[in-house]
Amino acid sequence: MVLNQLQSQVRSSGAYQQLSDRLRYMRQDISDLVPKIPGLPYAYISPFFILFGIFLLFPTVYTFYLSFFDYVGVSSDIMLQITAGPLQLTIPEIAKLNWVGLSHYERLIFRDSLFHTSLFNTSFIFFVQVPLMVILGLATAIVLDSKFIRAKGLFRTLIALPVATGLVAYSTIFLLLFNDQVGLVNYVLTQIGLSPVEWLGSAWGARMTLVIAVTWRWLGYNMIILLAGLQTVPQQLYEAAEIDGASRWQQFRHVTLPQIRPVLLFVVVSSTIGTFQIFSEPYVITGGGPSNATITIVQYIYNQAFLQLNLGYASAVSVILVVIVSIMSIIQINIGGEE
Amino acid sequence: MATIDITNLRKEFGDDGEQIVAVDDVNLEIEDGEFLVFVGPSGCGKTTTLRCVAGLEDVTDGSIEFDGNDVTDQRARDRDVAMVFQNYALYPHMTVRKNIGFPLRLSTKQSTEAINERVEEVAEMLGIEELLGDQPKELSGGQQQRVALGRAIIRDPEVFLMDEPLSNLDAKLRSTMRTELQELQSELGVTTCYVTHDQTEAMAMGDRIAVLNEGELQQVGTASDVYRSPTNEFVAGFIGSPSINTFTAEVEGATLHGPGGFEYTFDDPSVLEGHDRIRVGIRPEDMRLDADGGMPGLVTVVEEMGNENFLYATMGEIDLTARVESKMHPDEGMSVDFGFDEEDIYLFDIDTQQSVKTKTSETDVDYRQFVAND
Amino acid sequence: MRSEERNEALWKFGSYIFLLTIVVLVMIPLYWMIVASTIPQSEFFTWPPRVIPGTEWFSNFQALQENINFVRSMGNSIIISVSYTVLSLILCSMAGFAFAKYEFRFKEPLFYFILATLVLPIQLLIIPLFLLIVQLGWTNSYLAVILPWAANPLGIFLMRQNMKAIPDSLLESARMDGATEFQLYYKIALPTMLPSLAALSIILFLNQWQAFLYPLVVLQDPQMYTIPLALADLVGAQRVYFDQIMVATSLAVTPIFVVFLTMQQYFIKGILSGSVKQ
Repeated sequence: MVLNQLQSQVRSSGAYQQLSDRLRYMRQDISDLVPKIPGLPYAYISPFFILFGIFLLFPTVYTFYLSFFDYVGVSSDIMLQITAGPLQLTIPEIAKLNWVGLSHYERLIFRDSLFHTSLFNTSFIFFVQVPLMVILGLATAIVLDSKFIRAKGLFRTLIALPVATGLVAYSTIFLLLFNDQVGLVNYVLTQIGLSPVEWLGSAWGARMTLVIAVTWRWLGYNMIILLAGLQTVPQQLYEAAEIDGASRWQQFRHVTLPQIRPVLLFVVVSSTIGTFQIFSEPYVITGGGPSNATITIVQYIYNQAFLQLNLGYASAVSVILVVIVSIMSIIQINIGGEE
Repeated sequence: MATIDITNLRKEFGDDGEQIVAVDDVNLEIEDGEFLVFVGPSGCGKTTTLRCVAGLEDVTDGSIEFDGNDVTDQRARDRDVAMVFQNYALYPHMTVRKNIGFPLRLSTKQSTEAINERVEEVAEMLGIEELLGDQPKELSGGQQQRVALGRAIIRDPEVFLMDEPLSNLDAKLRSTMRTELQELQSELGVTTCYVTHDQTEAMAMGDRIAVLNEGELQQVGTASDVYRSPTNEFVAGFIGSPSINTFTAEVEGATLHGPGGFEYTFDDPSVLEGHDRIRVGIRPEDMRLDADGGMPGLVTVVEEMGNENFLYATMGEIDLTARVESKMHPDEGMSVDFGFDEEDIYLFDIDTQQSVKTKTSETDVDYRQFVAND
Repeated sequence: MRSEERNEALWKFGSYIFLLTIVVLVMIPLYWMIVASTIPQSEFFTWPPRVIPGTEWFSNFQALQENINFVRSMGNSIIISVSYTVLSLILCSMAGFAFAKYEFRFKEPLFYFILATLVLPIQLLIIPLFLLIVQLGWTNSYLAVILPWAANPLGIFLMRQNMKAIPDSLLESARMDGATEFQLYYKIALPTMLPSLAALSIILFLNQWQAFLYPLVVLQDPQMYTIPLALADLVGAQRVYFDQIMVATSLAVTPIFVVFLTMQQYFIKGILSGSVKQ
């Protein structure tokens, strides 16, 4: 109490007021300085934005542009030159192009059966793999989250290990694992009395191989995200439901699912986007075969663009891919965000 | 409606070599329709005991019976209990109507109309019928509390359990809800176990109060019992606000010698037999300013409360609190003497903390003599 | 209630079995890689295939090296991944710092713009990027692989989010002590952000380490191949030398495993921070 009195005495003294005023002015002076250093924040962000603009932004726009042209070759012509006194801005041409309008799109949508095949393949893999992986991932996360499980960290680490494998690296493993003649999988199948499957030799076998491979690779990744979502559900909600008489399944339906809805949606959407874009796996494991049974959209883009140098056409395929994926995401978000 | 028998209840936590005993050998019989309050400081085991009765915790040892049926091994959802949580635990994505109706939707095969009827009945009882279409996040704390109550009532359970339901409400709302809860419980007649850390709440609400400390049941009794006849020093200190003044005194014959010059001679020294030193307890409300009181004090702070004054004083190294009439206002720094009646003094054994002497029980008063004649 | 207890026990048992099954299924391909990389080619075509690891790792490795210069591609990968990570960290942290702690015009729209580009798929970029690289004459160079991706939208987003948590008062008192603005970034912001930097660097490093499509496009010279390219080359052209393929895979995968096992929490942090709530 004596201390309080002392404090209030000091605070009301003239000397203290003056000192605190001066300190305040000093601080204002200094923070006023910051915007006065001309363009300081711009200096910080410009390296990023320069690279961003040249290598991310420009190519994106250019792809759309390219899709309306036939590619003829690389050019060293100048597209645009602006002279303003001593300054000169030159924008070089990148490619020699022939205008074709919408004919690429027309051909893709109506006449290109290989593209249609790739669309079918990719869609099939998507329809099987994403639900499989999401359900399995959710089940694993839920079980792992149970109170009575010990060594949670260990389980989580082991199941997430595939996250650390490169796409090409793990594809090589699956290439050999599912080899029709000497692969481990067929061996195990025969050992338990089933007949070996033509994994890489048949159309459906190859597709299933890709489904299994992609699921293997991303299960742990998505499980981690789902697990984090599960852990945000307040324990008391489960207890209230338990007291109200809810069985395990009812608790899942009425407490868990509504609470993890956003996380679940995120997993579904990002898996969809990812699966639609797979390239390394079909390239390495199946080579797009047998007989184009597993050629995916991105593989088709690659083949068209860099093996056959139809860059304009390939650009059109890229645009269509983006449109498809966007539409799917929008649909999913609308359905999933409802209620 | 059921009786609850808690026998030898023991609950331990922890399995990496370090065992924490949260509830240690609690025995309690709760009568049908009784409102029993568990009270005690943080960590005393009251919530754990409640959760064992609920079935949310497995018991380490002992048993719990409802109406003679052993429910100890039953999961919470198989017991006929309803619980109101401190944080209400309302389902955030359901409307109030769905929240309240949820238990019925789960267990019974009633039609939606029947359930809705029941929901409306309960909502009316609690005064929240206009909120039925709202989401929990749109409601105030008090409203959410009522929804949680509604959800508990609608099942007409054998047992109500409440875990500090009023702690998150502001003071004014708390006292309103307190009365409402009591009325509700009276009307419904359901056996209720209520947990709180606030001893005032406990005293006001409970038919009986169970005082716990460090996992052990200290005493069970009516408010009057625990106030007037605490079984040990802990209960005496916990019940009553402001807390009882306690200190150690030397016994010399019939006289107690305490710190700061405290000296009191007993009219009936038989209670002092067998003790050389003894713990003394005197409640602030039993103290008055009295030159011959034998309790000298140096006044440090005087708080005027309007209807009464709190005097804070030191007696030697002991801090004293006294509640006196509002016209008694000694200056700070004055030396005064306090006095009390011998019947109001508490004595506790210095080794066991058990009560040696407490206040006498209330004599039965025929209150009809105070009722006005027609 | 004996049957209640029994049901509980059954449920717990079943849960463990389920988890163990998942773990086993996940581990099998990795275990098999170890086996396959340590046995000679001749034992690959036996039936039943071997399930115990052998001792031929080094001889397989020697054969691999004679076949293609795998060590060289490992070197390429390391140089590229490390440079990329460092460069991107610098760019993203600087820009993130500016967005978090400074006020300037267009701050908001610029940032949301970057957020929007998070959803851009790589396929929309590679064709013109390829043309650009050809035009610049950067094909078959480290530059081609490192530079274009250094401005990573995810990186700047994470950096800004995390840097917002630095108390302004910390920076102001440093200013009053006479620190230059750059020192604020260098000596205060960066050290405080170490865990986030670690998580981000893992994301960046991994992305670059196993990047396939884009390097495939711009690196045609086998001398410049990164590990995935070398691996794919082995598989494509010489589908037959399984032992070499597996040895190469084991080399590709093991360093990352070590990083994963030692820096798990940063890995996990990285994964979770990528799952942005939008």
